[in-house]
Amino acid sequence: MPDRRSSEDMERKVRIVMAKLGLDIHWRGVLLVSQFLKDAGMEVIYIGNTFPDQIVAAAIEEDADIVGLSTLSGNHLTLGPKVVTLLREKGMTDVKVFMGGVIPPHHVPLLKEAGIYEVYGPDTAMEVIVKGIENAVARRARSS
Amino acid sequence: MTKKEKKTECLFSEDNLSEIKDGYEDWFSNSLSDRDREMEGQYFTHSGIPVKMIYTPADNEDINYMEDLGFSGRPPYVRGVYPNMYRGRLFTVRQLAGLGAPEDCNKRVKYLLEHGATGGSILFDLPTIRGYNSDDPEAEGNVGHCGAAVDSIGDIDAYFKDIDMSAISISIVTHLPSTSLVIPGMYFSVARQRGIPMSALAGTCQNDFIMETCVGSAPEILPPSASFRMQCDVVEWICKNVPRWNPISYNGYNLREAGTDAVAEVGIAIANAVATAEELIRRGMSIDDIAPRMSFFWDLHNDFFEEIAKCRASRKVWYKIMKERFGAEKERSMIMRFHVQTAGVTLPATEPLNNIARSTIQGLAAVLGGCQSLHIDSYDEAYSAPTEEAALVSLRTQQIIQAETGVVNTVDPLAGSYYLESLTEEMSRRIFDYVKNIEDMGGLVSAVESGWLHREISRYNNECQKKIETGETKVVGVNYMKAEGGKTSPIEVFEYPETYTRQKAKLDKLRAKRDDKRVGECLDRLRKACHSGENLYPGCMDAVTNCVTLGEIEEVFREEFGLWSFPLIS
Repeated sequence: MPDRRSSEDMERKVRIVMAKLGLDIHWRGVLLVSQFLKDAGMEVIYIGNTFPDQIVAAAIEEDADIVGLSTLSGNHLTLGPKVVTLLREKGMTDVKVFMGGVIPPHHVPLLKEAGIYEVYGPDTAMEVIVKGIENAVARRARSS
Repeated sequence: MTKKEKKTECLFSEDNLSEIKDGYEDWFSNSLSDRDREMEGQYFTHSGIPVKMIYTPADNEDINYMEDLGFSGRPPYVRGVYPNMYRGRLFTVRQLAGLGAPEDCNKRVKYLLEHGATGGSILFDLPTIRGYNSDDPEAEGNVGHCGAAVDSIGDIDAYFKDIDMSAISISIVTHLPSTSLVIPGMYFSVARQRGIPMSALAGTCQNDFIMETCVGSAPEILPPSASFRMQCDVVEWICKNVPRWNPISYNGYNLREAGTDAVAEVGIAIANAVATAEELIRRGMSIDDIAPRMSFFWDLHNDFFEEIAKCRASRKVWYKIMKERFGAEKERSMIMRFHVQTAGVTLPATEPLNNIARSTIQGLAAVLGGCQSLHIDSYDEAYSAPTEEAALVSLRTQQIIQAETGVVNTVDPLAGSYYLESLTEEMSRRIFDYVKNIEDMGGLVSAVESGWLHREISRYNNECQKKIETGETKVVGVNYMKAEGGKTSPIEVFEYPETYTRQKAKLDKLRAKRDDKRVGECLDRLRKACHSGENLYPGCMDAVTNCVTLGEIEEVFREEFGLWSFPLIS
């Protein structure tokens, strides 16, 4: 199938809003992932510790393709799905929400059911995350 | 001339050394292969110290036994802080316990004490750590997770229900100085209400401004200067009022977990201790009033010998700084006592049972390094707070080291290893230089304000991750010797109890019954103290006793000191 995206679309960098979810204090992972995504040629906007409404506001303002949520402190089930719901409410239906951190495996299906696109655990290689995001964005471009 | 007659400065005689050096040259040229020789210079410890293929007495030639090593309980305390070390008193088995509501924690603490733990560490959930009440909107999703929720003095009373506070040594893991003004204050007030004198209370609170400004990120951080002042207020008041309490635990641990090497971990913690000492001397205290109550907290990673060397070197650096720079006279001022926790960051989610092996090696290093107390991380670290079973395995690992291995029977058993002694010397030099570098930048508070420390942490993390990605750093089961299909064994995960509603109900009840006028007066008094510069502790003690909540006190601090933005570079 021929690629019908315009050259502008092709050149536009993937835009990602990265956030630490709520009060979680562990910032090592989120900054690392941010750096690697930048190195992979993506535009990363790190907004620090934020709550769902602030995250969604940033996603709108930054015209984000992807929202990345980092949490290691157990608030993923409470706050993660809220981000998805708020995005949908604001009509940002094609923004994909990724999550990373310390998340028990049996919570992953619950998060995916709630609309989280992908969840990455502690041992994930950076290239897996980069690929995952590239694929998600490509799929989005194809379907639009 | 026999060995005994010859007096030399170093461990070995000149003749011996020259023979050893010749032998080394011969061995290097004739016994090693070309490839071996090429690879010499390509091995490093985790923090970048070159590692030779073999160590000999020639690598220890600058060591003067009496001056550089000596005896345990004697300067420079490299070999241990007490003469008899673990024969006299075993390291305290201090496993963390904190989850859910204080009532849940009470059960876990009792469980650990019943199984032979000799001390406790209590952890808090993030809203408590950051100084928010459980019913604050900011607390949503985190109440009771990863630690206990504490809102008011009643929660501390519940936490220690039916536990004799005079018979335990408790580590109250308040990360921030601002909450160290409040939560230990609740503990002291509860003890007072139970008729226990302050002199009977033993324990530690963490109280480290680096935790607020560098290690954790969070919305609403107090400025470094305010946080540092609170840190000093806590030390000053506790030193004067609760004689057996350690008012500060310089937290190398969390800094290392956030991202530094072993040298920076110790260097930054010591630089903070130096800054605290100078401030309190400025306030009129003497070094021998303060230093005896300072304690440290190290993170032991996988590089076995480097970690042991770090423990030994840190004691030496502390001794020298206290003795030579501050002119300390009390022995207790010059001995560095430290708690160790094994490295959570080294424990992957893949094949979690392997983490029992990792933690055991790290815990053994802590004991060989002469720690005063130890927490061994649980194998389910990458999944959740530990389950009861995982916590018990950690406790049992400690007991196995204590009772079955024999390593506690003799002091500093690895002393004299040419490699370890060489590493200990090199670590000491590097830690000294690191502390000096920070002071040359204008001290630790400035180094934080300028964002230097944040840049150091970010740089280190990037380098580390790149090494894992390229396979230069091997993690068994993750990027090395990976199992086919990357199968992880299923493990049981700790489920957080529902805490929010219980805490909310207690807060509602408290607000209804307390004397609002008194609450207002207490908060006003604190507000004034923020600006007058007087010590904030008495005001906090007064407030918690009058049922003022943690969140209310912290809100005063946030309003009066303002907030600081984290100079993050990503």
